[in-house]
Amino acid sequence: MSVAGDLSRAIANTDFFTALRESALVYPVVMSLHLASIAVFGGLILMTDLRILGIAMRSVSIADIVRQTLPWKRLGFVIMVTCGVLLAGAKLDTYYDNPYFQTKLILLALVAVHAIYFHGRVYGKPEELDRAPAMPPMAKTAATLSLVLWLGIMSMGRLIAYYERPGQYPHAPKSAAEAVPQK
Amino acid sequence: MFLAYDPATNPLNNTQWAFPFFECIHIAMFAMSVGTIAMVDFRMLGIGMRHQTPAQLLKDTSLWTLAGLIVVVTSGMVIWTTDPLRYYYNWAFRYKIIALVAAIIYNYTIHRTVARSAMSATFGTALTATFSLLIWISIVFAGLFYAFT
Repeated sequence: MSVAGDLSRAIANTDFFTALRESALVYPVVMSLHLASIAVFGGLILMTDLRILGIAMRSVSIADIVRQTLPWKRLGFVIMVTCGVLLAGAKLDTYYDNPYFQTKLILLALVAVHAIYFHGRVYGKPEELDRAPAMPPMAKTAATLSLVLWLGIMSMGRLIAYYERPGQYPHAPKSAAEAVPQK
Repeated sequence: MFLAYDPATNPLNNTQWAFPFFECIHIAMFAMSVGTIAMVDFRMLGIGMRHQTPAQLLKDTSLWTLAGLIVVVTSGMVIWTTDPLRYYYNWAFRYKIIALVAAIIYNYTIHRTVARSAMSATFGTALTATFSLLIWISIVFAGLFYAFT
């Protein structure tokens, strides 16, 4: 057994995470909050990027979109990450070697790199983008990468549930047709 | 013909990637529709986007809200075909469908009318926005609770 595996099992088996995982109400509520924050605040990220790309909400200035949605994105991010950490901790013993979970973590790290790199260059000076005669390639790149990264993170998050460790379910049916015997 | 429908023959139940693929589209598009509605709601509550009027935000987001709703409902129906009866007999799903119909009607009648005329955050405007946020978020909750009930 690996160090990562031992550590993950130790975390998932703490009283706190065991109670969370086994709660019929708290666990789905935390997951719903995770999704609801994606709905409300993920939507803001999406619209900001589409605005920078010149596709959506063009009668609102980029500065207005970026600056006015920022506190809400921050609040949403905190709720989303808090719920995400709780969900991951509760099932870390099965998540740590899940390739979708691992990809999600890598993409989240890339979001941090994206934020550090593009904050000063794009999102920190939206007024300059409004004044520019044409959208600078740097800003378009930032918005496109943001869309790709967040859609990737969302998809990987959903796919975590679909991974089966080899041999985890030795008797599982190979197809739906096999699962439901035909008459 | 409808009665003879067997979910086991549905391509979504026989292709590994198809079901999660539609789920991802479903999630991305409810983010777009609910996110744009929330933007208008935050403004109506006077807690965000205050440089714009609710009417201006509504006008600028309505196309995206509608596009999101169309895709989210379509992908939702595709997902539903994978096991229609299980969905039908599930209380969370029943709530979700009733609330969804109510929310869509509400969004295109009362909510839209109030958003268009609201200049400042009065009690009525705030109430309209709060109800909107709550009903849409409750639909997201119900979608998830389906899997747990």
